[in-house]
Amino acid sequence: MPVITFISADGGVRAVEAVIGHSVMETAVRNGVPGIEAQCGGAMVCGTCHAHLEADFFDLAPAMEEGERLLLDCGDHQGPTSRLTCQVRVTEALDGAIFRTPPSQP
Amino acid sequence: MADQATGAPAAGVPDHVPASRVFDFDIYGDPRLTDDLHDSYATLHDDAPDIFYSPRNGGHWMVTRFDDISEVVKDFEHFSVREMQIPRIENPPVFIPLSLDPPANMPYRQALMPFFSPKAVAAMEPKIRAFASEIIDDIEAKGACDFVNEVAARFPVSVFMELMGMPLDRLRDFRALADEYFNARSNEEIVALGGRIVGLMTELVELRREKPADDLISKMVQFQVDGRPITLGELQSMLFVMFLGGMDTVTNVAAYTYRHLATDKVLQQKLAADPAAIPKFVEEGIRAFGVINTPRIVTKDCERLGVQFREGDMVLCILPLGSRDGRRFDAPNSFNIERQSLTSLTFSTGPHLCLGHNLARLEIRILTEEWMKRMPTFSLKPGVRHVSRAGAVMAIESLPIIWTPKAA
Repeated sequence: MPVITFISADGGVRAVEAVIGHSVMETAVRNGVPGIEAQCGGAMVCGTCHAHLEADFFDLAPAMEEGERLLLDCGDHQGPTSRLTCQVRVTEALDGAIFRTPPSQP
Repeated sequence: MADQATGAPAAGVPDHVPASRVFDFDIYGDPRLTDDLHDSYATLHDDAPDIFYSPRNGGHWMVTRFDDISEVVKDFEHFSVREMQIPRIENPPVFIPLSLDPPANMPYRQALMPFFSPKAVAAMEPKIRAFASEIIDDIEAKGACDFVNEVAARFPVSVFMELMGMPLDRLRDFRALADEYFNARSNEEIVALGGRIVGLMTELVELRREKPADDLISKMVQFQVDGRPITLGELQSMLFVMFLGGMDTVTNVAAYTYRHLATDKVLQQKLAADPAAIPKFVEEGIRAFGVINTPRIVTKDCERLGVQFREGDMVLCILPLGSRDGRRFDAPNSFNIERQSLTSLTFSTGPHLCLGHNLARLEIRILTEEWMKRMPTFSLKPGVRHVSRAGAVMAIESLPIIWTPKAA
């Protein structure tokens, strides 16, 4: 199972085993990772599952669609590798990926 | 509460519902509901199955737990928003985007979301603060008021009008119309008043098409849906949902929260001394005093959550009970601003998560900040009942409070 690491704004590190096919958001929520709120449970209407994907992995994640961009633009703490983790499916390619969660959501 | 139990029991219960799941509860006026509406509603957690079938009001399911409700409202394949009336009616209203399952809701939702983002909502803060301040101006010397009618029902109306670019000189008229609407009982009244509200919004739409201004309606008339201009019918539906969504919801969450606050002088003093605690207070009020129950219709015979559902069954998710689920929240019926912050279900979840949740939080926070700056400690006027209306929306009819005005 791929291992995904979450680093919170205060430096806390959680490395979790992820299930292929789950979203990164689901992975965080199932493992009690702080910093991912997921108020809408993955429906892409809230923007509270935002995280920054470490640059090396950004191109390996499934491509972003327009709806995700729109919602990211509504949020805070945005950066060049921002993703809504509910829209990023876990694949083998993401083994070792690091997601940094922002100080607040969205 | 038990003013009138309006739903006569149905002649029978459908044969797909086992007897063990049947529990008599009248959402419009059950005898177990008291003036402590939420606490009394929460006794269902002790007495009824997690998911039960009430024979009242045409017969419908009730879902009372956080995890189960989350499942239902995310599973639009089996639980649709296309009908939301209990009991069911012919020609149910179509609200956009609230009555549309994904993906149909998304273009409308996406068009609106930027205007309800935290950033967009934060830009309204100075005006919202001014509204709160005016409301307090009008009551602070009086020593007594009805918090519902003089504060909580008035405040979100101004905010709505500001958001929509409605001329504030019409505040009194619009407020009266909104009050009439939310207090209407008969279907005729509701339909007639709804028509007048839509009529008002339509006048504005027409005005802003001619003369755009810097407000939400001016932007909405420019919306494109699937690459073509939005129609008047779609605009009217969206505006009506926003009217419904933004007013008595905020009014009643605030009113029930302040009803609690009136009984806790220590908490009042803490909020006055430490305004940084106000966001936690607001969040706990939202958790403890949700006022919306969200319905769905079952789209096909299925087994979900250990229950056999049949196509056409109505399912009511009791969001306030989801937010008071003891499996998620310690001491769920205690009001505790220091509790671990966990999202509650007051704004629901899934594709129809309340669009206005950021605005609702901001409104109640700002009201409380201004209140705490200026008002002394207050208490409930003794000997007065607090009657609530129950149903899809829970509303408290009046909340008389008293205080000793600060010396001039």
